[in-house]
Amino acid sequence: MTITNPAVTPATVTQPATTGRKRPNPIKRFWPQYVSIAPFYVLFLVFGLFPLVFSIWLSFNDWDGMGSMNFVGLAQYRFLITDPRFWNAVGNTFIIWFISTIPMLFLALVIAFLLHQNIRFKGFYRVAFFLPNVTSMVAMAIVFGSVFSDSFGVINSALQALGAAQIPWLSSPWGIKVTIACMVIWRWTGYNSIIYLAGLQAISTELYESARVDGANGWNIFSRITVPMLRPVILFTVITSTIGGLSLFTEPQVLLGDSGGPGEAGMTIVLYQYNQAFTQFDFGYGSAIAWALFIIAVIFAIINWRLVSEREVGGQKVFKVRRQRKEVAE
Amino acid sequence: MAFPRRSFLAGAAGLGALAAAGGLSACGSQVSISNDPKELVLWYWDRSADPKLLAQAAKEIPGTNGYRLRADVIGGTFDTKLRTSLAGNAFIPDLTFINSNVSLYFPNQDLFHDLNSLGAEKYRQLYFDWKWQLGVTPTNRFCFFPLDTGPTGFYYRKDVFDKAKLPSDPDSVGEAIKTWDGYIELGQKLKKNVGSFMEITAGQIFGQYINASAERYFDKAGRPLYMNPTSTIRDAWDVAVKAVKAGVTGNQQNGTDQNAAWTTGKTAGHIEAVWWAQILADTAPDTKGKWRLASQPVRAGNSGGSFVCIPHTSKNPEAAFAFITWLNNPQNQAQAFNNMQLFPSAKDSFTSGTMKSNTGFFGDQDPLQFFLKAAEQVPTSFISTYETQAQYFGTEITNVESGGKDPERAWDDAVNQTNRTLRKRGIDV
Amino acid sequence: MTATLDSGTTRLADPTGSSANALARRRSLVTRIVTHICIVIGVLFSIFPFYWLLVMSTHNTAEIFGYPPKLWFGSDFATNIKNVVQSVALFRSLLNTFLVAASVAILVMFFDSLAAYAFGKYNFPAKNVLFTILLATFLVPGSLSLVPSFVLMSWLGWIGNFAALIVPGAANAFGIFLLRQFAQTSIPDELVESARVDGAGFFRTWWSIAVPMMRGGIAFLGIFTFIASWNDYVWPLIVLVDPKRLTLQVALSTLNSIYRTDYGMVMAGAVISVVPLIGIFIIGSRHFIANIAAGALKG
Repeated sequence: MTITNPAVTPATVTQPATTGRKRPNPIKRFWPQYVSIAPFYVLFLVFGLFPLVFSIWLSFNDWDGMGSMNFVGLAQYRFLITDPRFWNAVGNTFIIWFISTIPMLFLALVIAFLLHQNIRFKGFYRVAFFLPNVTSMVAMAIVFGSVFSDSFGVINSALQALGAAQIPWLSSPWGIKVTIACMVIWRWTGYNSIIYLAGLQAISTELYESARVDGANGWNIFSRITVPMLRPVILFTVITSTIGGLSLFTEPQVLLGDSGGPGEAGMTIVLYQYNQAFTQFDFGYGSAIAWALFIIAVIFAIINWRLVSEREVGGQKVFKVRRQRKEVAE
Repeated sequence: MAFPRRSFLAGAAGLGALAAAGGLSACGSQVSISNDPKELVLWYWDRSADPKLLAQAAKEIPGTNGYRLRADVIGGTFDTKLRTSLAGNAFIPDLTFINSNVSLYFPNQDLFHDLNSLGAEKYRQLYFDWKWQLGVTPTNRFCFFPLDTGPTGFYYRKDVFDKAKLPSDPDSVGEAIKTWDGYIELGQKLKKNVGSFMEITAGQIFGQYINASAERYFDKAGRPLYMNPTSTIRDAWDVAVKAVKAGVTGNQQNGTDQNAAWTTGKTAGHIEAVWWAQILADTAPDTKGKWRLASQPVRAGNSGGSFVCIPHTSKNPEAAFAFITWLNNPQNQAQAFNNMQLFPSAKDSFTSGTMKSNTGFFGDQDPLQFFLKAAEQVPTSFISTYETQAQYFGTEITNVESGGKDPERAWDDAVNQTNRTLRKRGIDV
Repeated sequence: MTATLDSGTTRLADPTGSSANALARRRSLVTRIVTHICIVIGVLFSIFPFYWLLVMSTHNTAEIFGYPPKLWFGSDFATNIKNVVQSVALFRSLLNTFLVAASVAILVMFFDSLAAYAFGKYNFPAKNVLFTILLATFLVPGSLSLVPSFVLMSWLGWIGNFAALIVPGAANAFGIFLLRQFAQTSIPDELVESARVDGAGFFRTWWSIAVPMMRGGIAFLGIFTFIASWNDYVWPLIVLVDPKRLTLQVALSTLNSIYRTDYGMVMAGAVISVVPLIGIFIIGSRHFIANIAAGALKG
């Protein structure tokens, strides 16, 4: 594979989408694009395909991780469909996703806009918002445990001192979900706000200048330029947060251990998969759970994409809601 | 920001190397964990062996012809790494420690040497028989050699008991809680007088009851025993439920609550093994001198303790076995106790006179003598590999205590879930 | 031909515009104060657990688990650090981890920006199908692949070799997806078109137009890839066997024992592990935060 010097052979250079595609040799014409995207697929074929096929095969077997595999056909999936613990995990995952991702993305957008303005100490604030994402798991476990513990946690101790009733953060079904949601929001808001910030920075000021010259006021600029230009980045965060929410694992494990707490109220799908594979040593079932999650995630991602992606009328509607909330925040 | 040309070329070179590596994948690769033919690799975790002994073995393993030990510390997720290596049949250590979940490896016992074929039988009388038996697989292969043990007792706060006007010296407390009913009665008095609990969770009572019993969840043939109305599991369950109803357990389900409870005296007791004393000393040093040990209801049990074994790919099983027997001879186990508080499994360690007691934390009480007596009482039991599938009993007792679930329904759920999971794994129940 | 590098100030339009009357200035002041307060509240929440981690690293185990919890600094920091340094080969594992993480980050920035530019600004046959496949691999479950990945590395002879940590992730779906969105946001079609008309080829356009314009996204990707590699624990644990060639998280994890752990030491290790990441973030974030010329557009 050689990298041709484009200046030498301008005639065979790739052309962007505006010109029509010639029928003969589209691959030859677009070879730089194919070469550019090739590394990902090559790496995936070498390092990703074998484990992937293995895990699919595993979901049709019974395996304890070390011994021999027994073929069982669809038995794992049949068990899955009637497994109340699995559906409990699905319910938990969706509920936690709903109460954590939506506030989190909204907060991230607000923070990004706040940081985008010309204020002092920006550098410090950026570091501050980025810190949760790199704080270690062990520390988080101890800190959040100390804050949310039922009997001796900081919050409940404060409530008790004020004479209010203590909240069972880590033992009641809703308490557990709210606590996990708090941890997710704490951990990921800064991360997403930095993505939004980078996106905001990437919007060319010339657009703003020409809009202002044309007489647009702040609000118009925001709604007609900033937000639409930011849409691809917003789409990205919605999709990745959704996938992250569906694969929620670290936060519930850190807070409640491998069984999801009392009543398994904090058991998410991936935690259940981990529980089955690494504490029950039932890798076949763990694989089946993982692939069931994949199917659920695909359906969900498609729904998300349709909701947020580029559509004129639909797009305006979606962002109207955000704009109103933004108004209140300011 | 400028990308130097170099990274461009580096990328191309990387792709090329990738292609080459892919093509060579069938070639012979390094699968032995150590290239040195006279070096045996041991996997252990922090504080599971005396560093001085390991250092001595690093120079030469006594009783072998010039073999050396290389001991690698593996962090927390020990089992994952070991199992992955065994499954991938590559980079398996020549020796490895295994924690108390040794029964996990019974289905794959063929991956480990039967130590009897290396002459283990003649060492048998040196160790507590119940500990030795824990290393014997259901097909009577002896694969897991005793390391340290965890005999249990009832830790309690003497000062809190004093304040509650309860008997507070070890003998009277031991007498008062000779039976589980007596234990619960004492707990009720404790609760009434000073508002403190006897134990952090009902799950702890449930688990330690089983640890102190000869019968557990399954028999050696793998048949479940918990469905018999007179089974140990049912008894343990009833006792735990009774404790919950009597209000003597603290429902402190997570680490922060538990530590705070013990430090403040809100929970004034805990049934646990000898190694918990170290953790207590680390996390609550201000309570030094306030704790005592009393014998728990019925008899003492065992909680924790590790083993050492030789994987089938070991470079030299005889040399490895020589290391094992040397490391665990009574003098060395006594030394390991003095340095690392690893409670010996060799009976003669205690009579050798070299073990140093660690008084002070328990006032004038000698924990060494106490736990030696406990170790002599531990019943021989069989821990089945299927106990991992029986974890539902633990979660259900927590639901009873923490979520107010009806005990009978919780029991039925636990039994049904366990049976369902067992059937899924192919066990007829 | 080089594109004009847009690194000028971009600001949310200020409601006061450029008018200079006193009322507008006061409104602007109020806005700024409210903004600051909101940010400070957010910052406090974000920072508090990290602050507590710092505090814990200055205490010993007893104080960490004591009740009530200690929220002010103690005096054991030096002891804890000393213990960590004596228990693990800290300097070497820091160096190893830095090399691994930097390698992955550079490779990822390189490969992903190339692929993202292609996906984002060009239409070629099967583009949508290929991109969908790429997204699909995003959703594929990961944690179960330990054993087959281990076997694969064993076949390649890469056990104990840092290549096993660097190469598999050198081009990842997450990064390509992210940068594709950035390509769509920040690279105007006109610029690409005029470059093409000027005779520049794909790679040249990528280098001189796309990369500078996607700078923010690329820097973000580089930083967070570095962080992810730095914090990766399970896979390095499985794949590295020589105790002299470990990465930081694996080395620090040996401090955790089954029976008894010195938490002061563990927390000190966690702090040591985080500080370089903060440094990398501060250095790298300059690239996606443009320099604000002070007071240039204020009312």
